[in-house]
Order: sequence, then C-alpha cells, then structure tokens
Amino acid sequence: MEGAQAQQGDPAASGAGRPLVVLDKVNKHFGDLHVLRDVDLTVHAGEVVVVLGPSGSGKSTLCRTINRLESIDSGTITLDGQPLAAEGKALARLRSEVGMVFQAFNLFAHKTVLENVTLGPIKVRGLDKAAAVKRGRELLDRVGIGEQADKLPAQLSGGQQQRVAIARALAMDPKVILFDEPTSALDPEMINEVLEVMIQLARDGMTMVVITHEMGFARRAANRVVFMDLGEIVEQADPETFFSSPQSERGKDFLSKILSH
Amino acid sequence: MEILLDNIGKILEGFQVTLILFAGGTVLALVVGTVLASMRVSPVPPLRLVGATYVNVVRNTPLVLIFIIVVFALPELGIQFSFRLFAILAVGAYTAAFVTEALRSGVNTVQAGQAEAARALGMTFGQTLSHVIMPQAARSVIPPMGSILIALLKNTSVAAGFGVIEATGTLRELGRDFPQALYWLFFGIALGYVVLVLLVSAVFRQLERRLVVVR
Amino acid sequence: MSARRLRGLGAAAALALALTACGGGDDAATEVVTDAKFPAGSSMAKFNEAGTIKIGTKFDQPGIGAKKPGADAPEGFDPEMAKIVAAKLGIEPDKIKWVETVSDNREPFLQNGTVDLVFASYSITDERRQVVGQAGPYYVTGQQLLVAKDDDSIKGPDDLEGKKVCSVEGSTSIKTVEEEYGANPAPFATYSECVQQLLSGSVDAVTTDGAILLGYTAENPDKLKVVGDAFSEERYGIGFKKDDTKLCNFLNETLEASFEDGSWQEAFDQTLGEAGVEAPEAPTVDPCE
Repeated sequence: MEGAQAQQGDPAASGAGRPLVVLDKVNKHFGDLHVLRDVDLTVHAGEVVVVLGPSGSGKSTLCRTINRLESIDSGTITLDGQPLAAEGKALARLRSEVGMVFQAFNLFAHKTVLENVTLGPIKVRGLDKAAAVKRGRELLDRVGIGEQADKLPAQLSGGQQQRVAIARALAMDPKVILFDEPTSALDPEMINEVLEVMIQLARDGMTMVVITHEMGFARRAANRVVFMDLGEIVEQADPETFFSSPQSERGKDFLSKILSH
Repeated sequence: MEILLDNIGKILEGFQVTLILFAGGTVLALVVGTVLASMRVSPVPPLRLVGATYVNVVRNTPLVLIFIIVVFALPELGIQFSFRLFAILAVGAYTAAFVTEALRSGVNTVQAGQAEAARALGMTFGQTLSHVIMPQAARSVIPPMGSILIALLKNTSVAAGFGVIEATGTLRELGRDFPQALYWLFFGIALGYVVLVLLVSAVFRQLERRLVVVR
Repeated sequence: MSARRLRGLGAAAALALALTACGGGDDAATEVVTDAKFPAGSSMAKFNEAGTIKIGTKFDQPGIGAKKPGADAPEGFDPEMAKIVAAKLGIEPDKIKWVETVSDNREPFLQNGTVDLVFASYSITDERRQVVGQAGPYYVTGQQLLVAKDDDSIKGPDDLEGKKVCSVEGSTSIKTVEEEYGANPAPFATYSECVQQLLSGSVDAVTTDGAILLGYTAENPDKLKVVGDAFSEERYGIGFKKDDTKLCNFLNETLEASFEDGSWQEAFDQTLGEAGVEAPEAPTVDPCE
C-alpha cells in the first residue's frame, strides 16, 4: 500500500506528503443551524493536524464528516483521491481506511479487549483469525494493555479503554486516524497515558486529525493548528506561530480564555 | 381422574403435536422477526416501510384470521401443505411481528456509539447489526421474548380448529368421548400447558442469568 | 311465497330459499296450546308459567339449524322441532330464547342451566346419557362421505385408510372414521369450513350425517358428491337436565304425537326435505329410564 509507505516517510516534514484528506467548500446544517460554512481543509500524508475552537464551533462535526458519520449538504470530501460515496459497500471500504477514536471510547461492550481489536481485521479485511490475534496482541502491547487482552471493556479504566480504542483503530492499518476529543471524557490523571500513546503515534509518522482542548499536545505533536469558530476555519498556522501570535481577533480571544486558567 | 390416566397416551400425543407446532413456530418467528427487525432499523426507507407495514398489519390482525388466510387462501393459490405446516406458518408469521418489535426496542437500547464505532471500522450495515448491535440487543430482549414465546405456545391451540389435533384438539375429542369427565379433562390439559409454560420460563430465566453477567 | 315460485330453479336455490321461508314460526303445525296443565312442581309447569324457554341449537348447519346474519331466530329442522315442543308447553315461538350450542358445550350448558333443552343434531350415546338426559330419537340418519365429484378413489368408508377426512371438532363422525377406518382426521370448527377444505383439495373427504352433506351437494352439484351407504346410525335426541323423568316422558309423548299428527313430517318437509333429503320413517323413541 502506497499510503502506508508514505507514513513511514519523514515525520517532521509538514505538508511534505501527498494530499490525503481534502475538504472543498463543505457546508452542513443541523436544521437552521449552519454548522460548517464553506470549509476548505487539506491534510497531507504524515501530517498531524490539531483542530481547536470553542465548543459549538463545528470542529467535532468536521471530524465526523471526514468518514461520513455525518453527511454533508454541499461541497466535496476526498480520501486519498477518492470521493466519499453514499452509504453502502464503497463507503464502508473507504471508512476502513480511516481510523476513528471517539470521546466516549465506544468499545464493543460485549466483546473482550482482544476481540475489539481483531473484529475489524477479521470481518472487514478478511484476515484469518490467528494472524489477527497475533497483530492484535502486538498492538495492545504497543499501547500498554497487553495484560488486559481477555477482559471486557467495562473492567478497564477510562484511560485503558481509550488506549484499546486506539489499538482498534490501528489494527485496520488506516491511512489516517481521526481523534474526536479523545481525552475529554477522562479523569485528569488518565489524560497523559492516552496523550503519550498519541504522541508516539505522531512520531511514528501516522497521519492524524485531532480535535482536542489539550494545548500541550498541540504544541508537542502538531504540524499545524486549525482554529475554528462558528462553523468556519478562522485561521491555520504551525503551533508556535498560532499560540504566540494569533492573527485573528477570535483566535486571540479564544487563546486568552484557554490560557488564563 | 382415572380418565386422565387412562388416556395419558393420547394426551401426551396431543402435547407432542403442540410441541412440534411450538418449535416450528418459534424457529420461523425468530428468523422472520430478525429479518424484519433488521429491515425496520435499516437505513433504506423502503425496507423500513416493509418492516413497519408487516408489523402493523399482522400485529393488529386476530390470530384466527391469520389462520383462516393461511389455511383457506394459500390452497386457492395452489399452495398445498399439511395442516401442521399451515399451523406453523400461521403462528410463526403472527409471532414474528411481536419478535420484530421486541428486537427493535432492544436495538434502541444499544448506544448509538456502538454502531458508529462499527461503521467507522468499515463494517457494512449487516455486519454492524449481526456482530455488534444484535448480540447486545439480545440481552434486553430476553425477558419480552420469553413472554412472546409463552404466548406462542398457548396460541398453538388455535390450530385445533384448523385440521390439527394437538393438545386442545385432544381435549375436544376426549370431551366428546367422556362428557362426564369434562372438567377433569380441562384441568388435566390446562396442567399440561402450565408445565410447558414453566419449562419455557425456566429456560429464559437461565438465559437471562447467563447474559446479564456479561454486561 | 317466493320459494314456491322459484322451486324449479334447482336444488341449490331451493335450499337457500327454503331456509328463509320456514323461519316465520307461524306454521300450522306449531299451534300453541293455551290451556296446558302440568303437574305442580314439574319442569313443564315451570316453563309454562314462565312463558319462555331456553333452547340450545346449532347456528351453522344448513337444513338442521342455521342462523342467518341479522336474523332473530335460527332456521332448520331442529328449531322446528323445538317449536313443536314449546307449543305443547304453551310457549309462543317468538318467546323462545335461542342459544347457540356447539359440540363442545352442550353438556355443560344443560348442567349449568344456560339452556333448558338442546335440539342440536345431538346424537344419543351411552356416554352422554351418563351426564345428561336425552329423549327421542326424533330423527335417525347415518354418517356418509362427501368427496370431490371427480374423485373415484373413495367409494365408501373402507377406502378411507390414510386419507385426510374433515369433520367438525369433537363430533362422533370424525371418531368413527379415525378409529374404525384408519382415516387421518382433520377437525375444523364448522362443516362449511370442511367443505371449503374439500373444494380446495386440502382434504380428501368430509364426513358427517348424510342429511347435512346432501345440503352441500345441493349448493355445489358440479363439484361434490355424496358416496356410499350410511355406515353409522346417528339418532338425534332432545337434551335435557339429567334425571328429569317427568320431562323425559313429556318430551317422548310430544314427539310421538308429532309423528302421529303430521307436524313432524311437515317440519321435515319444510327444512331438510327442501334440500332433497328423502323423508325418513318416523323413528321409535327410547323409553325413559
């Protein structure tokens, strides 16, 4: 797979890879609410993009449109050159190339940790069980939960569950992983264990779109910060530039509220 | 009392037929009910409409009417089965509507995030349903399903008026031959149904216990 | 009466119209006795004083006892016989309270007083006589077979081995073909349903009293036929509460009188006779006790 090779390339190179996720003039309404306004965004292979913004800015919706968990009203979204299809087999295939980590973990409650990680590869990729289990155990070890493989999700702490969710996404060898506020539902002492895993992923060259409020993560791992407000992208820049000298009034306002406490 | 003992063979034969109707009806109802429930929660509007229409029509039709349709109308269309199979078709098709609704409400108890996670992995609608949603829905569905199958068991008695001699039909025959013992016969046959219902309940209690631990 | 004019149109029409025609209850045969005297305390005295009586009968057997949708009273041979008995008790036909009885509930209805008398093609059997009283018989018929017109495989009860035979649930007819001739019984709620099953080919034959079957051949002369001789004897009796010997004697005397004075014959001619059933000879009633 070409995409996988691209991820192995130089991780530091911002925008060096080919365009992987391209949003063009994307609009979305929830009833009267215009949640995405003419959003243009390009994420290149190997890039880590952090999306910031106040709540209600549309950043979560943006994230969910990328694998069409939310449909869009106008505009186009392409994944590695292929436009997102309507609901069906083609869309399912595209989705399998896009990992997703949810705020609420959403681990399959009736399956063990290991089964959570192997279900996708077996059912979607058609991998044989032994190979899937071997790979699943490797990934669980990588996120530090190898010991818990046979437990049910409910028996794990929040931080552990979210790490399993990351392993589940990785098991599909995705071209890009979407993180929808991955640490917002966690107790403070568990946030770091998840962020550490994500930082390691970024270092390994994984293409990531991360919705988060964790400024520390943005500083340490992001190639680019995208600031959204009221459904539009207000400005984007490398983290250093954005945090030290935001260009827009709204950006300044946002940062002053965040950084003051 | 001795009437019951003297005719125990015949009574057991009747209950054997009742059990055949129950087993056949259960399999049919579960299969058809699962398919229809899948249609009712599917993203395709025409399928949802088919599922909803079936449920609304069949659930609001008296069982006897469904028997009449199956037993009298199908032969007119050239479809000729044994009366037992007709009876299984009738109770199965009828019960399927209730199974559908129980499953649908069970699906609604599964958090939306479960389906989203499955879809995000690239699972198709069918895979999402069969690997993620239905197994979790099954747990909350067990108690209502028990009631539905108990109703099915008792509903098989309608077949007595449509060419099948099951437990209730046996009661009628024995009542004809031994009118002096009619109340004993009622009692005996009712007892038989009670025993079967208790067995079904016990099976479901066991299922419930086993699945609840998993949660 | 329209029935007279249209008689030539055939047995089917005749049957249907005959059933309408005989519903009036103002027939000459049922002349109500106004000065009836009965022993004090007897059931007859009780009915006479009440001026009404509850009669259980079939509501779904053409010619025997059938109630049309919307009609006030059932029509047929059984209701006609009930009117004769009621008349002797000094009760007007329109004072009779008709109650539908089916094969299953005739004994319980007599025992708990839901009905006073049963006229419902109620075959006299030793088992029944253990729980209820049965006066008569007032009609003797026999079980026959109704088959599809083009079916040559069934000529009589001996050909029934392994065949699907329909009759009404809880009837004696179905027992006979099952136990004596090895047929596969297929019980349905009514004879008309059985005939439907025969017409659609779901069963091979329908069995019950010949009188009833002939009614159906009259409706479907091109598709159905009655085959074989009667292979059982069904003796219709009047059901009453057990051990009421006085009532039994009264019923038997009333029946014998109706055989004598022609009212029995008339009741038959107006009902089953219209459907082409041959007039039987008056039976001999069983002695009470």
